Amino acid sequence: MTTLPIADGMLAWLVRERRPDLARRIAETGRIETAVIGLGRQGTRHAGLMREFGTTVTAAVSPEAGLKVVHETIPVYPTVAAMLAEHPDIAAVSIWKHFSTAKYAALECIEAGIPIVVLISEGMPVRDVRDVLVAAREKGTLLLGPNTPGIIFPPERVKVGMLPDVFHPAEPEPERFTAEGVTICSRSGAILYHMSDALASAGIAQNAVIGVGGDSAIGTPFPDLVPMVMDFPGTDLVVVAGEIGGIAEELLAEAIRAHPERFPKPIVALISGRYAPEGKTMGHAGAIVSPGADWGTWESKRRALEAAGVTVVNNQWDLIEAVRDKLGGRTYFRAEDYYRRMAERWDAPPPVKRWTTRITKVEPDNLVVRGVPLVDLVAERRFAEVVGLIVDGRFPEDPSALDRVAVEAAKLPVPPVPLRDGDDPSKQLAAILLADEALAAFEGSRAERVAFALGRSAAAFGRIFGHELGEAGTLGELLVRAMAGERAAEAAVARVLEACVVASVDHGVTPPSAQATILSATVRPAYEVAVASGVMAITDVHGGAGARAAEFFLECRDRAEAEGIDLEVAAERIILERSIAGERVEGMGHRVHKRDPRRDVLWRLADEAGVSGACVRASHVVERAFRIARGMSLPVNVDGVIGAIVADMGLDPRVAKAAFVLGRIAGLSAHYFEEIDTQPQMRRVDFSRAVYTG
Amino acid sequence: MRLYEHEAKRVFAKRGLRVPESLGLLYKGCGELDVPAEVLDGGPVMVKAQVLTGGRGKAGGVAKASTPEELNAAVARILDLRIKGFPVEAVLVERAASYRGACYLGVTTDPRTAGLVLIASAAGGVDIEEVARNRPEAILKLPVAGNPAELPAADAERAGAFLAEGLGEPDLAPALADAASRLFAAFQAHDCKVLEINPLLVTDEGLLAADAKMVIDDNALYRQARLLDELGIRSKRHDVAEPTANERRAAKAGFFYVDLHPEDWKPEPGQVVVGLVPGGAGYGIFSIDEVRNVGDRFFDGRVVPFNFMDSGGGPTLARVAEMFHLLMDDPRVDLVITSRFGGISSCDTFIRGLVRALRERHADGRRVVRVHGRMVGTDLPAARAFLESAMRETPEALARLDITVGNRQIMAEVIKEGLRRHFEEVGA
Ligand SMILES: CC(C)(COP(=O)(O)OP(=O)(O)OC[C@H]1O[C@@H](n2cnc3c(N)ncnc32)[C@H](O)[C@@H]1OP(=O)(O)O)[C@@H](O)C(=O)NCCC(=O)NCCS
Repeated sequence: MTTLPIADGMLAWLVRERRPDLARRIAETGRIETAVIGLGRQGTRHAGLMREFGTTVTAAVSPEAGLKVVHETIPVYPTVAAMLAEHPDIAAVSIWKHFSTAKYAALECIEAGIPIVVLISEGMPVRDVRDVLVAAREKGTLLLGPNTPGIIFPPERVKVGMLPDVFHPAEPEPERFTAEGVTICSRSGAILYHMSDALASAGIAQNAVIGVGGDSAIGTPFPDLVPMVMDFPGTDLVVVAGEIGGIAEELLAEAIRAHPERFPKPIVALISGRYAPEGKTMGHAGAIVSPGADWGTWESKRRALEAAGVTVVNNQWDLIEAVRDKLGGRTYFRAEDYYRRMAERWDAPPPVKRWTTRITKVEPDNLVVRGVPLVDLVAERRFAEVVGLIVDGRFPEDPSALDRVAVEAAKLPVPPVPLRDGDDPSKQLAAILLADEALAAFEGSRAERVAFALGRSAAAFGRIFGHELGEAGTLGELLVRAMAGERAAEAAVARVLEACVVASVDHGVTPPSAQATILSATVRPAYEVAVASGVMAITDVHGGAGARAAEFFLECRDRAEAEGIDLEVAAERIILERSIAGERVEGMGHRVHKRDPRRDVLWRLADEAGVSGACVRASHVVERAFRIARGMSLPVNVDGVIGAIVADMGLDPRVAKAAFVLGRIAGLSAHYFEEIDTQPQMRRVDFSRAVYTG
Repeated sequence: MRLYEHEAKRVFAKRGLRVPESLGLLYKGCGELDVPAEVLDGGPVMVKAQVLTGGRGKAGGVAKASTPEELNAAVARILDLRIKGFPVEAVLVERAASYRGACYLGVTTDPRTAGLVLIASAAGGVDIEEVARNRPEAILKLPVAGNPAELPAADAERAGAFLAEGLGEPDLAPALADAASRLFAAFQAHDCKVLEINPLLVTDEGLLAADAKMVIDDNALYRQARLLDELGIRSKRHDVAEPTANERRAAKAGFFYVDLHPEDWKPEPGQVVVGLVPGGAGYGIFSIDEVRNVGDRFFDGRVVPFNFMDSGGGPTLARVAEMFHLLMDDPRVDLVITSRFGGISSCDTFIRGLVRALRERHADGRRVVRVHGRMVGTDLPAARAFLESAMRETPEALARLDITVGNRQIMAEVIKEGLRRHFEEVGA
């Protein structure tokens, strides 16, 4: 499909008259930047539809606190001025504010000098509209509305407003659109579809459809608008769609008679309401015949327009005939092509609604965090660097700043929450985090906040495991001390445990812990609440398998030793016994990966550091043992490997879970911030519809 | 929304514009009560029909009474009047004033520019439109720049001077200017579209607003709620006629509907009455014309559109069903024409609502008329699939439903086809 270049279309033409500077930018960039003012249900929805149609929706304005983007990529600003400071090339806006607030939004846009303002809002008090009109006249704004469905330019596929994609441009050869055609200017919305439908069935194209607004007080009445669109070279004829009520059509007739030179092209007027009763409002505030007035009736409009040489019709057949006649029988495309295109559009399955995350790409055997393969992070990066990366999207300039925040945070006393023995450490940690006043009161950058939370978590785990934290130098060291106590002094233990933490940092939006945090974030709780929700979802079933795996590998080791058999056989026997007893073997299998990329890098690091022992060896052979015992292929997963490493280090098996939790706190934090930054509050989250676009 | 004279006068009084002493309102049904003779103690009274239309004086809706007999006769007579087709429901009785001059003062919206205009004329008490036509020089039309809350002093002085001169009462210029300012401020404060005093009388006690016309912008009624409360107006009233039963029913269901005929209207034999369920207000008006035109062109002018309806964007299923129920419940409707077109509202909801209405009627044995129409647009595949399976599941309930899917036929042709089928069916 080759659309008309933007700069050659009518919208650019209309901008040029008012803001030559912007027209030059349009010629340079090949884009007309537009914005959406007001992000209620409708504004939000149509921002997406406009963009889908082809419009460049550069930005949006909504005073809603905390809203940063809409449709994930359109930046949101609290005021028009703030928006224009960042995007000075915005040439057209549509306003979707409630009638009680629309005036203020419109005045803001007009006073800021935006050349084309489409005021969608219906039901604005006339007194408010008058303020808007006064301002627009002063500024020379092209104001359409209020109560307009907007404007649409089919050849270049741009629309500002809510008009649907049913208007057909000139198509001299298949899939190539040109600027010629009929321009429709209308007071009403729904009638446009039927006018366009009638014309298209006769092969007559629309190069622009402009809703002037259904009220009696509107920004740009016909006498001003019609000469403007006639000036556009592509326009061959103008169809004016009027209706009973008001004086708009009579004024057009008067203008044509007074200045025929301003109306050099043919006009056909479709006026509806010939058979409407007097004195009753017909939906549109403007469409009422005032009894007794000598204007506003169908007859008065017909008489005036005919006297000015305009053909007046009030039904589809006459419309087709009159337009065809004035165009000398010219057509712009084959009606068949119109039917086909419409049928294709309507028959197309509705687009699947996707949402995007830029944090972690999860593909079979491949994990990428913020554009960096996770295996590289595990092998090469300190946790403080990874925290900066996952939260902010780039490595921190000074990771040691994060280290310092975490180390200082860990020095504050842990809130004296009663901890029940035997409770899941993730539950214990969440309870402490929720009771932590220092965390709630912390102020700093986002990465610092996460570092602070990790420092507090380290202090909490120190308490849970009964370890002194001492004077740690880095975030990683701090966490290792919390998990391993004195053993943290061994460089190999420190290195490999920190790698386990990094390996656990994130796994996209689908793990239950991430879902819990994201769902919580949809209702905008405090940071620590959303993170604690995710932490609490890390149980023996999800993320906590490492501790159980550590126990399993220890059992394998002991059994091999005790029975003098090799590890694989010991594993095989235990697997079979457990299977018969109906117990699961933890640390095996994965929903996504066959060869979990995190596994190999951890094995390698453990071997290099010399911490691998019988348990890690068992973790290498357990897949084979499982196949022999059960005839099924289940690879060992990252929990299994971490469990084996922790077991070989001789640490409390629960440390395997702690490593996972601490790493994942960084990931959960990133999901929390992403949710509040890029999604509307209280959205319905379909986790299977997320795509990674980092 | 237009206010009754007595309501508008209460607004005037509050805003420091003197009005005649009100002696009370009499409603139809209480008319047999005699008005106490004491009201005449203070002098003669005026009896004035309270109707929401102009030209009341010419229609005999205003009378002066000096005796109890005259008074009671006037009340009874006026309460019996119909003015421009609308029955008089109430009369205002107020003290008649003696005056030495009368003028006109009004604020209105210029339909050309939507700007404000102050209108003054020393020719008071007569039809101002007529003065405008015959003696334009007797009228001062003063456009007020911008949208100020108060009338600029210079404009007020100009209007005061103009009226004072025309009335031959130079001393009154400041009082007239003051009246203009007060009227203008009331116009703005109450979101008026029209606010006029005609006549504004010159009495020995000062100026007196003897009649009042006040039309409030419908769009601003929400923020005039306090005023409406004070006046005891509880719901928006139609400007001229009170709503019909169908209109009330539609309002309750949440959609906009207008009967094109009076409630007691009956079609003539041989006429076909077409109910309309269009989409959107603009097409709602247009489809009335379209149906008439198709009828005039192909069916000897025997086709009468029945209603206006705005099904609006995105109605619920229940509301769609109610739209069809309403029309089919009216025995005058012979046929329903419907259209769904566009990218915003869903064809699926529409067709489900329509099918639900037909099935409910079939099940309850209520009257079902032919429904002919077309649907294209959003959710079409789902809508088509639903319609096809509905047709298979309940063929009897949907026997007279004929919906064209897709846009190979424009609506005008669909209307023609629907009418042709109807005439074929009734054998005419
Ligand atoms: C402008 C319009 C589209 C907005 O509708 P919407 O998107 O559905 O709006 P919402 O219901 O989401 O919100 C309405 C307002 O209520 C406000 N609101 C909702 N709940 C609120 C709350 N609890 N507290 C305060 N404000 C609240 C919203 O903030 C919004 O205000 P705003 O417009 O000043 O920002 C609508 O009012 C309108 O005019 N529709 C007709 C448009 C039309 O058909 N035009 C012509 C076609 S021919």
